[in-house]
Amino acid sequence: MMWRTILALASMVLLAGCPRQALFVVLPNAEGGGVGAITVENGESVTTLDKPFATAEARAGGTAPTAETQENISVIFRSAIAAQPILPHHFRLYFILGSNELTPESKVAYRAVFDDIKQRPVYEIEVIGFTDTLGDLPYNQGLSLARAAAIRGALVRDGLDRQAISIAGRGKRDLLVATADQTPEPRNRRVEITVR
Amino acid sequence: MGLALWLAAGLLIATAGIPRADEAAPIAQIKKVTGQAAVLRSGERRPANVGDTLLVKDVIETGPDGAIGITFIDNTVFSAGPSSQIALDEFQFDSNNFRGAMLADMRQGTLAVVSGDIARSAPGAMKVKTPTAILGVRGTTFAVQVYGDH
Repeated sequence: MMWRTILALASMVLLAGCPRQALFVVLPNAEGGGVGAITVENGESVTTLDKPFATAEARAGGTAPTAETQENISVIFRSAIAAQPILPHHFRLYFILGSNELTPESKVAYRAVFDDIKQRPVYEIEVIGFTDTLGDLPYNQGLSLARAAAIRGALVRDGLDRQAISIAGRGKRDLLVATADQTPEPRNRRVEITVR
Repeated sequence: MGLALWLAAGLLIATAGIPRADEAAPIAQIKKVTGQAAVLRSGERRPANVGDTLLVKDVIETGPDGAIGITFIDNTVFSAGPSSQIALDEFQFDSNNFRGAMLADMRQGTLAVVSGDIARSAPGAMKVKTPTAILGVRGTTFAVQVYGDH
């Protein structure tokens, strides 16, 4: 324990003599998703940073944790952070049994998807359709693709660029809620939409 | 002979819809540009425009007043501040199972990152190289500054 402390202190003293070459910072996770972590490795040592604003620096002698004020961090990265695009968002919309028509609730939720896309100067949209396990594989493959196509059709009718929207169907192969075969399950009758 | 032909035709049809791990497939799109920003591709430098797509091996650059924001197809988001140079050295991503690998070479400047599906798929799947150290990404939000005069 004591040796580790002495070694750490010694490496800090050694590092402090050389100019800083790089700075590494963990930032609070965007949009509140958990606690992030990075590792910084220079061949000899591995430094793990796993708290918001934890910082490491690289100097000629190696890499080591360091301390940098939040003010300095926000000054250093102000332009980079200001250039951050609107982050990708994910949505799920649900369908009526055996149909490519949205449930009444999802018709409302569709507007939120559309509004999210509209605020982006440029966008790419992925729509993947899914079904529950009622019916055979080919039927559900067709239905899942029809669901994705219906959403693309609606987005294009609402004025979005068809070229920016990709669709796919996964049939009943990728259930959100695990069920036995031939089981109606509203949460599996869905499309998953990624907007970026 | 007839059977072989049919088999070959069947294979062609079967593979036609599967995206290949193509060098020329877009890996990211430019979402935001301020000031001077450029893309270096095959030795040629062209201005970066919002909406342009990026390919593996492209290098993004910003001028002293420039900044650029890009989003990768795995939903990783990069944004770079002034006087930055970042090479998109390696990028593979399979959108069916969300697995892939990514290596960015941060040569100079400032970069803020929100990691996406690749970093989530496996520890060590996403790395950012700097002149003296390699950053391994577990997720999700971090920033790197590389000083120009090393």
